[in-house]
Amino acid sequence: MTPKHPSCRAIEPDLVATATGEAGAAAVRRVDDHARSCAPCRAELGRYRAIDAIARGLRDSTPPAGDVAASRSALQARLADLKSRVLTYGIVPSPLGNILVARSELGVSLVEYLGEATTLAASRLRALTDVETVESSTEIARLRDELLEFLAGRRQRLGWRLDLRLAGSEFRRAVLEAAVDVPYGAVTSYATIARRVGKPGAERAVAQALRWNPLPIVVPCHRIIGSSGKLTGYAGDKLGLKRQLLDVEGVRTQPAARDFRVARETMYVRAGDDRAYCLPTCGDLPSHNLANLTLIASRASVEALGLEPCSDCRPDLHPLV
Amino acid sequence: MGLGPFDDVVAAHHPEIYRYLRRLTFRASEADDLVQETFLRAYRAWQTLAPDANVRAWLFAIASNLARNHFRGESRRRRAYVTVGERRAEADPAGPEEEHVFRETRALLDRVVAELPLKQRLAFTLRKVHDLDYEAIGESLQCSPESARAHVFQALKKIRLSLNGHELPAMEPTR
Repeated sequence: MTPKHPSCRAIEPDLVATATGEAGAAAVRRVDDHARSCAPCRAELGRYRAIDAIARGLRDSTPPAGDVAASRSALQARLADLKSRVLTYGIVPSPLGNILVARSELGVSLVEYLGEATTLAASRLRALTDVETVESSTEIARLRDELLEFLAGRRQRLGWRLDLRLAGSEFRRAVLEAAVDVPYGAVTSYATIARRVGKPGAERAVAQALRWNPLPIVVPCHRIIGSSGKLTGYAGDKLGLKRQLLDVEGVRTQPAARDFRVARETMYVRAGDDRAYCLPTCGDLPSHNLANLTLIASRASVEALGLEPCSDCRPDLHPLV
Repeated sequence: MGLGPFDDVVAAHHPEIYRYLRRLTFRASEADDLVQETFLRAYRAWQTLAPDANVRAWLFAIASNLARNHFRGESRRRRAYVTVGERRAEADPAGPEEEHVFRETRALLDRVVAELPLKQRLAFTLRKVHDLDYEAIGESLQCSPESARAHVFQALKKIRLSLNGHELPAMEPTR
């Protein structure tokens, strides 16, 4: 190539921009002025235009449709696998300490007490090899807000879609599903749940399943207590949290030997699936053993369940205080 | 499980991202791997993406990043170049006379582009084939829009030099 005149070198960026349609009006004018009196640059402009047109013609060359479709279906398969393994989580500071909330495509899959810890390192998620975690506090913002409202007593229901795959077994899953049905402000016994899942007498297995409940609070295992009325246990060694949660729901507890006991005398009683509710002292109750009873803390909770007052003890005329 | 928003992203952008990576790699299996990795990465980050983000530019950035890692070894790039020469030669049968120069030049240009330094090659492809703006190209190449523009300019200059002495089709000024 012969060396270009300095004015040609100077105009080159504008010339290329003009040829490719990216120049502003002033640059186009400069190029026009220059090219009028400079034949080599005029030719250059034509060549750049040709190159640009050919380059844009590359848009028309598309890969074979079969290859695109094959790539797409291979991608869908890998994405489906990934989606089933990804958990999005956030850590929520709460009156019960830090709580990790994680959800999958299917629903909320983990609510975990972290205590003072603030990172994933303290979570059981760390031990799960077939799970991928993504932190996103914005994604779980709604869950966080609703959880905090619930813990403050301003919300009685967490209507979350649940993903129970971390339950561990069919039996544990069945226990969690039965526990979900225990209403707000009420308690029932491990024995009741055992019967509901078709395993009467399996209280210990039920208690174990609830001990590993991956969704405490939302699957309200804090509402499941011993047949004696004692709280018995919660998430390993977190009995205090069970008591706090029951307190939020208006269920009163009293200290008992190395434990707490619900104050039965302050709660209405429902036998089995009866449509009626009674005073705790009702003589019409088939048994006072908690194994087949649900205790309900307030008239509001009773009414929310649509129960009728017992015609014998008339709790509507003699409300508990 | 119904169609989530990410499925919409795949439906909308897979064909173009595939085309981009296929053009860069020229080998279907390599492109397949890079496309899958692009969308799997995107899915992992999808939840943290700002709601008003330019999803298309974002996907191109992920794909470009993966492509750059992929081509880190110069030998791979050379292999890709050799393949393109063969493939284009096969894919361009002689057409009508008036198209012949255009097609021939396009095949030549394809080869020249494949030999460009990687950043210039990506910038050129993103601009000319996929019509991304310089801001988006800058995001893809982790540089400023001005640098992105400079990469495209350099690419055009090199292409122009490589086509020296080669007959080019006559073009009317577009504006």
